[in-house]
Parts: sequence; structure tokens; C-alpha cells
Amino acid sequence: MINPDGASAFAPASSAGAADRTGPRTRSAPRVKTFASELPRALLVLGLLSGLVYLYSGDTFTLNTLAAAFLFAGLSSAWNIIGGFGGQFSLGHSVFFAVGAYTTANLYLKAGISPWIALAPAALLAALVACLLSWPVFRLRGPFFAIATMAFTEVALALGNYMESITGGTRGMSIPFRLGFANMIFRDRLSYALLMLGFAALCLLVVLAVHRSRLGYYLQAVRDNEQAARAAGISVLRVKLMGMALSAALTGIGGGLFFMQVRVADPAALLSLFEFGVKFALIALIGGLGTIYGPLLGALVVIPLESWLRAELGGIVPGANLIVLSLCLILAALFMKHGIVGSLQRLFTIATRRIPR
Amino acid sequence: MADLANIVAVGILLGGIYALVSVGLNLIFGVIRIVNFAQGEFVMLGMYGTYAAYTFLRVDPYLALVVVLPGLFLFGAIVQRLILAPLRTEPTMQIFATFGLLMLLENVVLALTRGTAYSVTSVVAQTSIGIGGVQVGLVRLVALAAATGVAVALGLFLKHSMLGRAIRAVAQDRSAARLVGVNVDRIYMLTFGIGAALAGLAGCLLTPIYTLSPQIGTSFILPAFAVVVLGGLGSVLGAYIGGFIVGLTEAFAGYYLDPALKHAVLFAVFIAVLIVRPSGLFGQVGAEEVGLRDQS
Repeated sequence: MINPDGASAFAPASSAGAADRTGPRTRSAPRVKTFASELPRALLVLGLLSGLVYLYSGDTFTLNTLAAAFLFAGLSSAWNIIGGFGGQFSLGHSVFFAVGAYTTANLYLKAGISPWIALAPAALLAALVACLLSWPVFRLRGPFFAIATMAFTEVALALGNYMESITGGTRGMSIPFRLGFANMIFRDRLSYALLMLGFAALCLLVVLAVHRSRLGYYLQAVRDNEQAARAAGISVLRVKLMGMALSAALTGIGGGLFFMQVRVADPAALLSLFEFGVKFALIALIGGLGTIYGPLLGALVVIPLESWLRAELGGIVPGANLIVLSLCLILAALFMKHGIVGSLQRLFTIATRRIPR
Repeated sequence: MADLANIVAVGILLGGIYALVSVGLNLIFGVIRIVNFAQGEFVMLGMYGTYAAYTFLRVDPYLALVVVLPGLFLFGAIVQRLILAPLRTEPTMQIFATFGLLMLLENVVLALTRGTAYSVTSVVAQTSIGIGGVQVGLVRLVALAAATGVAVALGLFLKHSMLGRAIRAVAQDRSAARLVGVNVDRIYMLTFGIGAALAGLAGCLLTPIYTLSPQIGTSFILPAFAVVVLGGLGSVLGAYIGGFIVGLTEAFAGYYLDPALKHAVLFAVFIAVLIVRPSGLFGQVGAEEVGLRDQS
């Protein structure tokens, strides 16, 4: 069951309580989930996903969809670090995405550095930009933080269109098709699907490590009650900045990978609010805000749904995919606040309660 | 000198438009404490409503107000009741919901119009007046006058009418308002309806100025946020004056720096204000946090 904290932790705890009443008072603390204890489950999930890729290895359309789903799974997981665990509702992650994309592309085109290596400076620069931008805005909360980060996207778009030497301006920028592993340019779609799966795996493992680390608990404390967190001695700003930097670094890597896959993009496409900035948050919400597997699950539901809608209805009803997505968003906000993961957890709890012991 | 007069005129007229768009947003924020991301789409709906009236009923865009205002009021009230009322205590979900509404309205209109751009003309549209050597389009003057009228009327309404008093009472303290017999849920619905109707008014008056596209709402919403934050959250006067600040900033940045950078400058100023004085120039200090505390 995909279900990190809730119901499954509940069952052994209650049976331990029952044992308490009969046996001697040697209460064993409920098993604390650590990175190591969570790892097998994550590896199992990743194994299943690679099985999925293997199953569809001959189907170009499905491979493309899977690649996009994995990319967004990674990006949304990255957003989840600061947006879900930290409760800082950023709509500006497309800025870090674009920073990563342009760093990778420029290093590759102008300095001839292999994209594999260029991803590292891309991640660093994205994290740096994220820290510099969010430092002042982190004193804002809730909707105001969201508005300010949304405004970042607008500023970045204006600057992106202006700085033609770096971004190619409104005409966009393209990377010549030179096959080769070192250039990260492949002919078959399978390689891209695997590349994106690797990215999703990286993000999932980082999220896993963060969630079970001091930083992860700090972030959740800041989300739940900032004043209480500060009173408990947590340096709120530092925690937020670290969460944001980590989140942005992963987003920057995703941007680099995306650019190398599509090989042509303009600032308006990379900084699109609906296509990237908001979609990270949307996927995380639909999957389950602040859960480990929520964004992964959300992306695996949302992206295939979207690409199917685009293929089936795109020609007849323009924007049909976004209509359905926005309906999902409103309905999820109203009725499924804990996303798919939360609903599964509740079903699981109800199901286990029904079973007589 | 003539340049300067021109820039100021452009800035003030643009400011009038921004003020008109922002008043409703600020009213909704001030009373319901919801940042309505979909406010720009309400303006867009007003514009398309005007277009529909213009095409099917063959009336002048300015007369379409008679249909568009009640229509948007009703729409806003329904949206508040169905979507926002259940989420009253959850700011995060409100962001998701109003943003979802933004995407939904934009793309439904896109699907209905299939992306064709429309434009509407009025008898007023071709006229322009010279004031002190500066040529000014009459449609923009009308928008400016309407913004002024709306700000004054709304101020008077809130100050002196019974309903306006009730709205202010709810804005100040919800529980106390309920104690003295104000129907808070009804006030919320009415306020959101009024906010939406004001957006519809803006849409109507802007139809002769802009070419209609489904994306136009999003191009209004960010300047409107800037206006509201600059002027002061929840203050009608603030939205009015903030409109001119934003309009003038944009006009000056567009002329002296680079037209391509005018939005960047505008939002840099906006972010700076948000950081230095989050309550805005005319807002109450701390107003930006009140809405985020739990309102029981």
C-alpha cells in the first residue's frame, strides 16, 4: 500500500497497546520510519515504474507520455519539498526551471560542456537564484507569498525576452540535433523515458531523505505553526531557505533535462504559468500535498490524462485538457484536500477497521 | 515638456483602467479575506458578455451594462456559495480553488470562441479630445471617470448605507458582526457578487479599448494585484490611488527605459513594496496577516 505514515503505522501501535495491558510494562516505542526503512518501498515503486517502461518499450506515444509523467513527477516532488512539507506556496518555480534550462543549454552550446556535467551548475545556479529571490519574500505568508512568486514569473518573462544573448529572446533558442550519449541527445524515445525515470528517482530519493531528516521535520513544523516553530528554537528563515534551495536545485535539473529533450523553447514556453509554475503545485495537490509519493502518483494520473485529452479533444475543443485539469483542481480543493494518497489512506483505514480482529 | 505631458496622460489613463479593475478585487479581499485569483477572468467575462450583447442584441457596448452587471453579480454570488464558502477556513485551498477558477474560465472561453479575437466598437470609440495639447481617447476618459465614480460611490455606500455598514462590520470583526445580528454568510455572498459585478463593469467599459482574447484576464490580474498591494489591502481609496501609481510607473518605465522592460520594472516595484510595507500605502498595518489567522 502506498501509505507512508497514516494507517499502517496505526495498526502496529494499537496492537502494541493491547500487549501493554497483559504483559510487563516494556512499552516499545512505535517504530520510527527512517530513510533506511522507507527505502525498500521506494525502490519497489521505482522498480514497478521501470517495469512499466519495459512493458511499453515499443510504443512511442506511451513512452513520450511516460517520459513527461516522470519529468513532472520529479518536478512536482521537488516543489513538494517547499510547497508541501514547508507550506510555502510558490507559484514561481518555473523561474528556477527556466534558469536550469538556460544554464544547461548555454553551457552546452557556447562552452561545449556536456549536458550531463552542465546539470550541476544548473542546479547550483537555480538554488542561488531561488535563495536570492525568496530571501525577501519569505516574510510574506499564504496568498501573498503566492502572488509575489507569481510576479517573479512575470519579471523573469520580461527579462527573458529582453536578454536575447542568453535566451534567444522571443524567437527562442534551439539545440542542434547531434546524436550521442555525451550530448544527451537520443533518437529513440526509450532513452528519454529512462532519463526522466532517473530524474524522478533522484527526486524521490532526495524527498525521502529530506522527509526523514531534521530539515524535513523543521519544514513541517514551520508549515504547521511558524510562531511555535520559532519559539521552539528553529531558525525559520534558514529552514525555509534551505528547503527552497533544495527544491529549486532539483527543479533546475528538471529544466535542463526538459530543454535537452525538446531542444527548442522560448521564454514564454518555459515560464508559462499553466504549463509549469502552477502545474507542479496542481499535481502535488491532486496526488497528496506533503506526502512522499503523492506528487509521483499525481503526475502518473494527471499527465497521461492530459496527453490523452489533448490527443482526443485537442483539435475539437482547444484547451480541453486545461478545462479538465482546472475542474480537477477545484474539486480536489473542495473534496479531496489530501489528494489521492489521502483518500487511499482513508479507504485503507476504513477497510482495516471493518476487518474483525 | 510635451513628452512629459504625454507620458503623464498615458499613465493616468492607464491608471484609471487599473483602478477600475482593482476596486472589486480589493473589496473582496477587504471583506472576505480571499485573494481572488480569478478576478481578471471576471473582467474577461464582462468583456465577452458585452461582446455577446453587442452582437446578438445590437446594443452599444455601454448599454450592455444593463445585462452584464446583474449577470456577473449572480455569477459571483453562485461561485462564492458553491466554491468559496466551504473553504472559508483554509487559505491554501482557497488559492487552489480561485486559481482553478481562473484556468477554468479562461479555457472554457477559449473553447467556446476557439481562440478567435473579437473587437467591439462604440460611437464613442472614434472620438478623441485634445487637452492641453495632448490627444486623449474618449473611451479611456470614460474609464477614468467611471473609476472615479465607482470609488466615490462605493466609498459612500460603505460609509452610509445600512448594507455598507454591515459589510464594514463583517470586515472588522466577523463574530461581533454576527452577535449584533448581521447575517455574515449573506454579506459574504453579496460582497463577492458586488466584487464580481464591479469586474463586469470594468469589462464593459474596457471592451471598446482592448481586443478581446481569453487570455486578457491574466494580463489584468497581475497589475491589479500590484495596485491592491501598493494602495493598501482592503482600502477602496487605496485601490484608486494605487491604480494611478501603477499606471504612471508603467508609463514612465516604458518611455525612459525600454517598453519591453516596463512590466519587469512594475513588478520589481511591486515586490519591493510587498516586502517593505506589506500592508500597502493606505492599508491598515497588519491587514495582510489578518486574513491568514484562523477566523472562527
